[in-house]
Amino acid sequence: MPDTDSKQNKKAKEHEHDKGRREFLFLLPLTIFAGVAATIVTAAFRFLRPIKSVQPDVWNDVAPLAELTGEKPIMRSIVAEHQAGWASTLEEHFIYILPHKGNQVLSSICPHEGCNVAWRNEESQFFCPCHDSYFTAEGERLSGPSQRGLDPLPAREKDGMLQVKYQTYVNNTEERIVRG
Amino acid sequence: MKEPSDFTKTKEPRESWVSRWTTLEDIERTLIDKPSSGFEAWARTTAGIVVMLLSLQILTGLLLGFYYVPSTESAHTAVAYIEKVVPAGSWIRSLHHYGSQWLTVALLLHLAQMFWRATYRRRPVAWMTSVILLGLIFASGATGYSLPWDARAFFGTRVTEGIAGGLPLIGSAAREWILGGTEITPVTLARFFALHALIIPALILIVLAARLFVFRERGLVSAAEERRLEVWMHRQVLRNAIAAGLVFIALALYALKYFAPLGPAADTAAPGYLPRPGAQFLWLFQMLKYLPGRAASVVAVALPGLILFGLAMLPFLNPKPLRKLMAHPRRTLGAVLFSLAFLLFTVMTFLAYWKDATDPLVRLQLRRQQAEEIAFRSAPFTPLRSRTSESVSIEPRTQTDTGKQSNTQSTDASPTPGSDSSANTSTNFSQGAPPESYITNCSACHGTRGQGASKFPKLLGVGLKPRRTVEDIYALLNDPLAYGLEPPMKSYANKLTEEEKREISEWVASLKK
Repeated sequence: MPDTDSKQNKKAKEHEHDKGRREFLFLLPLTIFAGVAATIVTAAFRFLRPIKSVQPDVWNDVAPLAELTGEKPIMRSIVAEHQAGWASTLEEHFIYILPHKGNQVLSSICPHEGCNVAWRNEESQFFCPCHDSYFTAEGERLSGPSQRGLDPLPAREKDGMLQVKYQTYVNNTEERIVRG
Repeated sequence: MKEPSDFTKTKEPRESWVSRWTTLEDIERTLIDKPSSGFEAWARTTAGIVVMLLSLQILTGLLLGFYYVPSTESAHTAVAYIEKVVPAGSWIRSLHHYGSQWLTVALLLHLAQMFWRATYRRRPVAWMTSVILLGLIFASGATGYSLPWDARAFFGTRVTEGIAGGLPLIGSAAREWILGGTEITPVTLARFFALHALIIPALILIVLAARLFVFRERGLVSAAEERRLEVWMHRQVLRNAIAAGLVFIALALYALKYFAPLGPAADTAAPGYLPRPGAQFLWLFQMLKYLPGRAASVVAVALPGLILFGLAMLPFLNPKPLRKLMAHPRRTLGAVLFSLAFLLFTVMTFLAYWKDATDPLVRLQLRRQQAEEIAFRSAPFTPLRSRTSESVSIEPRTQTDTGKQSNTQSTDASPTPGSDSSANTSTNFSQGAPPESYITNCSACHGTRGQGASKFPKLLGVGLKPRRTVEDIYALLNDPLAYGLEPPMKSYANKLTEEEKREISEWVASLKK
């Protein structure tokens, strides 16, 4: 009896040993695979992480003050140099100057989803060609999905020129939040 | 006779070469489903049409990849080159463009047909892969849309960015990860390209591989029935081939007649340009008009997402409590999701077309854009001129290269006096950046590189025209009327210094066509 008992014990022990080996043989490749995957995923996360693009912090000459007269908004563009990634690109941004409102400057970027709004002479309104938001000649919100009026840009008058600083705002919010 | 094993082999039906050496028969068995006849058999050819269109997308995409460059500087020019210069280029691009829209419709019909036959019950994997494929095709369309980097692409990217940014909690992170930065930059286009040309096709292939090689769905078919089904299957393959062939001919002719759209380059579109998305996204475009604020993002992402997720999960929507509530929960829920998707898709698409057709100002602008596109198409191809920013100095090697070019050019555009200093020579060759005075005074209408904007004339190649030497342009700036130019071109007599007028006229005269 004790003999068979010890035999059984031995068998059970062997069985346990086998089980442990099988588990090990299964776990080892899994661990190796998990290790490789984790390393690559970590690197991929860092690799693909968004980079900060540098917004130009300069005053751009827009137009001589003498030209800014009349009741209608005047469209001008700023060409600003942006640095991001491998390129430093010249980008053209459109703005509207309101001579009848003390040369206030509005960004043409629609506060809804970011298309360029256009001035409609026929209706004396700003109109976003993407999702039909309308704004008054002063840039206040009239109708459509936009949550606020057109965004003003910092402007100043210097040496007979109107100068503007370009910036962007978070879209689709009621309050204005400067981006970046 | 020699060995018993050989003996038994001759007794069995001879194994064909195909079944011995390939897994094709296994795949066939995976694809076999209950046979149908008549209309239903032909309705099921949507499978073949989807396979054909998907292969066509992959093939044409691979071909376009031989010319396309994912850089904000050259993407538009590369696409224009494909359209105007490369033989069969515009046809292949048109196949790719409209093929993606047809594929969306074909997949929707395929799903409808599968739903009709209650495939989700017998073949959950086939059903789920089709739904996932639809999602991936939408993602592919959304990312591919940005690649030509025309005005349409640019504003499409803006709207994508806007929608992502408006999502609750993850909004700003999602936006920045999609853009690869805090604003739309050259990195953004590279990212969209990687998604469109590498990641999404890889995912599509993985899903297809899982459907064909990983999961086994023999379902209701018994082994004895299989032989009978094979006969039917071969006939069904023929039906599929006929349907797919007909659709291909239709698409091929359509692509011959209609060009894929290519708007003005992203940085030349003046406000007022109406960007319109591809037909498969008009519903989303129209929906955004009705959703104020951040609700738009949630609904635009959640509604289609929930519909797709619900459809994908349909095989599992059959628990006891639901069955107590209704007789056929999967059928009912599926029908609800389908009609919701169908209504959303058709009503919004119709409204989008209808709104554009009824607003006279919009109609006028769209017609103008179309005319401009036709003009752009018929104009000769303009190769890319490397645009260097002012801070970047020109390498000596490039200077001699451009110097050679300028010899031939200066005979046309009259040599400019006082081009002795090296700084001056670099601006004389059109490779140079525009002078700052040009940017502030002229670029709003004539474009940052003299490329013009919608109704304002371009200055490229103007030096080759009569009465447009450097001296002429200099005089023209003082008195445009004397040169036959009418407002809005105005006199810059008192607005520019003599030096500024000189540098502008030199730079403009040097612009090549």
